[in-house]
Amino acid sequence: MPLFYDTLGALSFMERLERNFITADRWRLLLDGLGTTLQVSFMAVILGIVLGVLLAFMRLSKARPLSFLSGAYIDIIRGTPLVVQLMIFYFVLLGPTTKLDKAIIAAIAFGCNSGAYVAEIVRGGILSVDHGQEEAGLSLGLTRAMTMQYIVLPQAFKNILPSLGNELIVLIKETSILGYIGVVDLARAGEQIRARTLDAFLPLIAVAVVYYVLVKFLSFLLLRLERRLRESDQR
Amino acid sequence: MISVEGLHKSFGELEVLRGVHTRVERGEKVVVIGPSGGGKSTFLRCLNLLEIPTSGAVLFDGIDITARNCNKPAIRRRMGMTFQHFNLFPHLTVMENMTLAPKKLGLMGKAEAAQEARELLERVGLPDKANEYPGRLSGGQKQRIAIVRSLMMKPEVMLFDEPTSSLDPEMVGEVLEVMKRLALQGMTMIVVTHEIGFAREVGDRVLFMDEGRILEEGPPDQIFSDPRQPRTRDFLNKVL
Repeated sequence: MPLFYDTLGALSFMERLERNFITADRWRLLLDGLGTTLQVSFMAVILGIVLGVLLAFMRLSKARPLSFLSGAYIDIIRGTPLVVQLMIFYFVLLGPTTKLDKAIIAAIAFGCNSGAYVAEIVRGGILSVDHGQEEAGLSLGLTRAMTMQYIVLPQAFKNILPSLGNELIVLIKETSILGYIGVVDLARAGEQIRARTLDAFLPLIAVAVVYYVLVKFLSFLLLRLERRLRESDQR
Repeated sequence: MISVEGLHKSFGELEVLRGVHTRVERGEKVVVIGPSGGGKSTFLRCLNLLEIPTSGAVLFDGIDITARNCNKPAIRRRMGMTFQHFNLFPHLTVMENMTLAPKKLGLMGKAEAAQEARELLERVGLPDKANEYPGRLSGGQKQRIAIVRSLMMKPEVMLFDEPTSSLDPEMVGEVLEVMKRLALQGMTMIVVTHEIGFAREVGDRVLFMDEGRILEEGPPDQIFSDPRQPRTRDFLNKVL
């Protein structure tokens, strides 16, 4: 049954709800989209953190080439729009050359992007730990690696947790451009419903609410983790 | 035990140590005094390789520890060090601060390390602080913990880098007390300090350092009552 803009006004709110979310199980579109968003975000976050830590260590390394390489990478990623990076990964780098799933390619693109930002956060975190901490560890006879692992990194992690949490939240919301390469994530699912029902308000608001609740939940978890790590700060 | 020969250290253009020679015997208590910027701390930090000397040698039990192939962690295990700002690990409890290194280096088991830590805490009068975080301790308590944390490694020599300089005056005594007792037990100690009283009481020998050299050295009585160098006299007039 075709539906035109001017007929929308004649529908009651309940009828619009039904048309947008119940008819043809349209809520499933949103649910599947949310699943895709979560999957891609999760993979990207893991990759972003691993890559970020690696890049941070390279950047802080005394070996000039490593430091330069890491700096150049961060510079390029930060200097170009994410949407362009995503399309380069899909249409130029990985799409034509591999059989990887679109969502996987997208996760790699988001992870590579996030890694650059995480690297700067981690580097700042390591530098924020007083140099005396490292010296105390070394003077006890611990190796450099042990001092990093048991003394510097735990303190750095505590210092950067808020920024890291922020990066995580930004990343999740940034995956809403997945539609550019034809992956149906939460945002694109809302678009599809809008295209079919010609109702902009409800699908977009629904999508916004789901993102908001997701971010709210994550913020809550992060705050709890932060509080637990701050136990040693009681004075 | 420690023999220092022609030690030089530069930070870029700045030459901080300009040829330091001295020997420290086992069991000896050496106190290093002198004006700020004279190279005292840098000298101490070269001894356990927190600073790498630009040239010269440090022989520890006959081993040249400035050699490139020297195992730095192994050398540092035999030398304890305490710092002006204590440098306790704020994310770990007092007990964890003390047991981390011996446990991670496989020198002690968990129970043994905890037992040793409790005994040391008892000795410095802080047995009830084992599960406290450093943030809740006073400066004097922190420094006492820092000293016993070093002692957990059973070092052969202890280096003290201005251990009382950042303490409130009323807390200086409790830290010096711990150091005096350590001296009585026969520990080899090298102490950079401005505490002239402590130097007189505990020191076997006093080194006066200025402009990157040891300008004068001798027994505390001689240095403090009859300094030979005008620069030493000047300095002592200012601090005494």
